[in-house]
Amino acid sequence: MRSKLGLALVCALLALCGRAWAQSAPPGVHEDEAFDVMNLLSKAGLRDLGSERWNAYGQFTYITIFKAPFSAPYTNANGSNNSLSPEFERSYAGTFSLFFGVRLWHGAELYFAPEAIAERPLSNLKGLGGTTEIFELQKTGSETPVPYRARLFYRQYFDLGGKKVLLDSNPLQVGRTVTSHRLVLTLGNYSVIDVFDKNNVTWDPRQTFFNEAFMSHSAYDFPAEARGFTFGGAAELDWDDWAIRIGRFAPPQHPNEQSLDFRFWEYYGDSLELEHDHKIKGLPGAVRLLGYRNQVYSGAFADAIAAFEADPAKNAGACPANGYNYGSGNFTAPDLCWVRKQNVKVGIGINLEQFVAKDVGLFMRAMVADGQTEVEAYDSADGDFSVGAVAKGALWHRPFDVTGVGLQLSWISSIHAQYLAMGGVDDFIGDGHLKQAVEGLVEAFYSVNLFKAIWLAADFQMIWNPGYNADRPGPIFLPGVKVHAEF
Amino acid sequence: MAVATVVLHGTRAAAQQAQGFNVERFYPSAPGAGWFVMDDLDIHGDVGGAMQVTAAYDRDPLLVGSGASRLAVVSDRAFANFGGSMWYKRWRFYLNFDLPAVVYGSSGVVGGYTFTAPNVDPTTLPDPVGDVRLGTDMRVFGDPHGPFRFGIGAQVFYPSGRSQDYDTDGTFHAMFRALFAGNTDHFTYAAHIGTHLRWFDESQTPGSPKGSELLYGIAAGPIMPIGTSSWALVVGPEIYGATALRAFFSPTSTALEGLLSARLEGTRDDTIQIRIKLGAGVGNGQFGAPEWRVLTSIEIFNHNHVEHAP
Repeated sequence: MRSKLGLALVCALLALCGRAWAQSAPPGVHEDEAFDVMNLLSKAGLRDLGSERWNAYGQFTYITIFKAPFSAPYTNANGSNNSLSPEFERSYAGTFSLFFGVRLWHGAELYFAPEAIAERPLSNLKGLGGTTEIFELQKTGSETPVPYRARLFYRQYFDLGGKKVLLDSNPLQVGRTVTSHRLVLTLGNYSVIDVFDKNNVTWDPRQTFFNEAFMSHSAYDFPAEARGFTFGGAAELDWDDWAIRIGRFAPPQHPNEQSLDFRFWEYYGDSLELEHDHKIKGLPGAVRLLGYRNQVYSGAFADAIAAFEADPAKNAGACPANGYNYGSGNFTAPDLCWVRKQNVKVGIGINLEQFVAKDVGLFMRAMVADGQTEVEAYDSADGDFSVGAVAKGALWHRPFDVTGVGLQLSWISSIHAQYLAMGGVDDFIGDGHLKQAVEGLVEAFYSVNLFKAIWLAADFQMIWNPGYNADRPGPIFLPGVKVHAEF
Repeated sequence: MAVATVVLHGTRAAAQQAQGFNVERFYPSAPGAGWFVMDDLDIHGDVGGAMQVTAAYDRDPLLVGSGASRLAVVSDRAFANFGGSMWYKRWRFYLNFDLPAVVYGSSGVVGGYTFTAPNVDPTTLPDPVGDVRLGTDMRVFGDPHGPFRFGIGAQVFYPSGRSQDYDTDGTFHAMFRALFAGNTDHFTYAAHIGTHLRWFDESQTPGSPKGSELLYGIAAGPIMPIGTSSWALVVGPEIYGATALRAFFSPTSTALEGLLSARLEGTRDDTIQIRIKLGAGVGNGQFGAPEWRVLTSIEIFNHNHVEHAP
């Protein structure tokens, strides 16, 4: 039994149904009727998808976005370098992923997921705080396809009793039966959001919204190297409708860098999530509370301002060339390069989902972070709120079609705004000046299915106040298209 | 991290920069093929498949220079290799990923060339993928469990990784092999001979590839059933290597390795089976063959819907 509703419920119960993300994008669940290798083998009588020893899936996604020109009174003022260009631009990302899973001994699974990406972000990935236009974009990508090992991790189930629960065969999930009371350990190389902050309505970004804003909290600065993955461990205790997850992961050595720091006792990112699943009038929903605490090597905005005010020679343009800095040429602005040390960042958020019909779901996320230190790995945002709806096309007899609409607002702390207003930059934003505002996004898409394996999607995004700057309000219009295939 | 700087046989000022390339001489057999390197050509039944993870460590796979003052450009290489294969009747198709984990060495100047040590570990490069291999094999004739089988195989390598880490030539390359295998109730053997079409040719650079190569190898060992169970232990040597076609079997252009391997494997059809392999071996320290290596592998495989003889 692999009905969508069943999957949604199982996922809600387990929160471990084959999801993973890129900038670590997650693979979604595959339908019974989907045209993929494992379903073909199953239909030929060669596989039992409910009790697998191994499985293999794959996906291809190509997204392109066109950014219409917009007017801006200034761009990269005073030598700063992080403005979104006001000129016409095209952004794209193409990914090809394979997902292999093997059952080892009792309760043990090993997963390996190689991936390749080719990409071109808008303005070199600069200028947007919480609304990166394509969720696939990475900080180290290139226009030439680059293969890399996205995931290689070990998962161990310890059944603790309760009802039997079927985990269907999916990418990053070998089909198996577990119990509703269980402990799940996930160790190795994967993305933090393979385990934390999942939402079964927004589900697989490759199937739904193009913008990164709906993949996770923009303010959830989870540890990751520049592609979005890391090493670490997570434990999850599932107890019927309840689940609690805790994990510790390796942060980058420098903010947003590819290299990782494996001194888990000194530098780390911890996450803790509590989930409760429920039904309202028979339709599944879930509430998740998520908190994180990063102890990482980073710069605090107040420290950078204080250092600059005490000694103007410690400005952005004068950052040591052999040190780690963001390349600003602004000699009249503070910079984080002078003050990086061990700092702590915390945040707390809520994540809601509720199906209101068999194939129609609503979602909402909101998070606030302390906003005292720079972005370490994800988005330059200190708070976010997103809401929206996603529906499958069963109502209009196209059950594999998907459509959705969403709104996201993100913002920064007052000290972060003060730092940017003085001309400072972090890894993603900093126009040289700032009139603080909320960055906003509205997005709508429709995805047409062909042959139960290919989706063609049209998407429209409107972003305002990019980089939280009301001096450059936009709005910016970004139409886009996508081709996505699963096999 | 063991990165040293040594100057041998030349001066730094006049030296040219040596290019990196794919130093690894362990070309694993397809998942489901039995041996570490050789292929048992046990390709039979309806649609079946295998998944395999191999972990290995090489010591001094790239030594350049001569005598006691040889420079270990690549002194340590630890990696995993993940592969999956599917087969049907006589055909097998497979895909392998080379996953370097640690690659260290020493920088220096040898023979007028500057060698820059690789420096790969999870802190510096968390997610490298070396060359990706796509291959196919066919059992041309011979019973899958008979005394003699002959097959052919082809592999194409998609360049990935970074040549400065000695993970890739940076170009496509391919292998074509003739495969021989057979077994009786208590003995099994396998051999191959073929060519490695390799466009990377740095003949003047010490220790570097010299274009296309001849591949050779043989393995044999007893099959020891474990009591009355459906498990068997196979222990035997695998001897294999490669030599540059343009310097046929010259000492510095020929890699030769001997590997003693033991594998415990399930022998039943129509159900999932496990194969666990351990191996250790020595090489001649030339042309990419390490001084020694150790490796282990775990694999699951199955042969489905086999029609048994009456």
